[in-house]
Amino acid sequence: MEQVQYHIRCKKDEVNKAVLLPGDIERADYIGTQFFRDSKKIVENREFHIYNGGYENKPVAVCSTGIGCMSAAVAIEELTNIGCKYFIRVGTCGSLSPEINPGDIIIVTGAVRGDGASKEYVPIEYPAVADYRTITALRNRAKKEGVDYSLGIIRTHDAFYMESPFAFGDYKKRVAIWAEAGVLAIENESSTLFVIGSLRKVQVGAILVAVGNLITGKKGTKDDLQKSINKTITIAAGALVDLQEGKEGKI
Amino acid sequence: MKKMHHLQIEPGQIGEFVIMPGDPGRCHLIAEHFENPQLIAQSREYVTYTGKYKGLTVSVTSTGMGCPSAAIALEELIMSGAKYLVRLGTTGALQKNINLGDIIIATSAVRLEGTSVEYIPIEFPAIADIDVVDALIRATREKNLKSHTGIIMSHDAFYKGSVFADPDFLKREQVWIDSNVLSVENESSALFTIGYLRKVKVGTILTAVANHLTREVITDEGKINPIFHQMTDICLEAFNNINK
Repeated sequence: MEQVQYHIRCKKDEVNKAVLLPGDIERADYIGTQFFRDSKKIVENREFHIYNGGYENKPVAVCSTGIGCMSAAVAIEELTNIGCKYFIRVGTCGSLSPEINPGDIIIVTGAVRGDGASKEYVPIEYPAVADYRTITALRNRAKKEGVDYSLGIIRTHDAFYMESPFAFGDYKKRVAIWAEAGVLAIENESSTLFVIGSLRKVQVGAILVAVGNLITGKKGTKDDLQKSINKTITIAAGALVDLQEGKEGKI
Repeated sequence: MKKMHHLQIEPGQIGEFVIMPGDPGRCHLIAEHFENPQLIAQSREYVTYTGKYKGLTVSVTSTGMGCPSAAIALEELIMSGAKYLVRLGTTGALQKNINLGDIIIATSAVRLEGTSVEYIPIEFPAIADIDVVDALIRATREKNLKSHTGIIMSHDAFYKGSVFADPDFLKREQVWIDSNVLSVENESSALFTIGYLRKVKVGTILTAVANHLTREVITDEGKINPIFHQMTDICLEAFNNINK
């Protein structure tokens, strides 16, 4: 794998092994410049912005995935090709639970495969499950930070304008089956990241902030949401440190 | 109180912690690990014992083979007050590095069965409860035993996917072998799916009694029983850890 990867434009060992995966390019810039020590921008190509840096004296990285499983799959495949092993998606979602309000944090255990990309990899009955060591590492860091969180299954899908507060027609009806099943929230990347993680034997987890609630219609203020996003970045970066030390510990 | 339609048990007759083997014939073997085990009911493929372990009220109920009967058992156990349930059973390994007698702890399951699809569309993930998975891994480590942890596959047709199936069975299973699925069994995916929907905590611990790649099989119950005793100890210690 000495060759330069087609989309992320870097080669073997150029990106640190433990990687945060936000969707948003600007959030990758924010994490790289505000949370990492001695950070260095490595790549800026399409929706992929990559930084290396240090966190608690461990090497870490961040790479934006863009919106959706298509580009997220490209990012994790190419990062895996060049030697990355630990991945945590840090992102936002829409809550499907009346108990999860804007600004609340979710640690994801598995995802409904409502996306198209993961179906090209393996039949639909295969579970999109987060890595159990990564879940535990995230929970331990959340506990250490004194941060409350919900734990459970989310839904990943492709068509934002079918299932969001901005959607056409009766979006509440479309998501009702998942809300009734106890699915906590909706977002756009986790299911494919989890499936590829299982197939390629790399460890993938996700921690999300609810930015709105599809059932109650509640929305968060920009300041409050940013505070929660900062907490998820701190928890996820800490979890990447613990995972590299093999001390994800126990709950 | 009305008795459950199939299990013939009543709320109050079982503990919050339940071990679920497939085979009713193994319930007494598991109940040997309880203090003062009482036979509660025996109906169809469902045998239930309740007893104590380190002060906890614990039960064992067999599920019979396959997701249809396992789903009935789980639903009626939940209606009777069960909160933490572990399937304890046998499995056919799909990976070369899994030897006969090895222990497998499932994080999740491929839903290649019919029952869970009646509950929720197929894209929903059948995942074990993370607290139960963690407790099983910890209890296994504390006993200095090794386990494989990962995705398993649950299916309905034994004679399409086992070492006793027609010679082409490995071709059908290749997709799962290539996807790092550890092994094949018959109940976990419906148990995990229903567990999440009903908000109870379900896990699975298995031992490999066959390897589909090498075609080796253990048929001697005398060789399987000691592993069942070990796995029962692991389950009970996991329950004890969860309760702390």
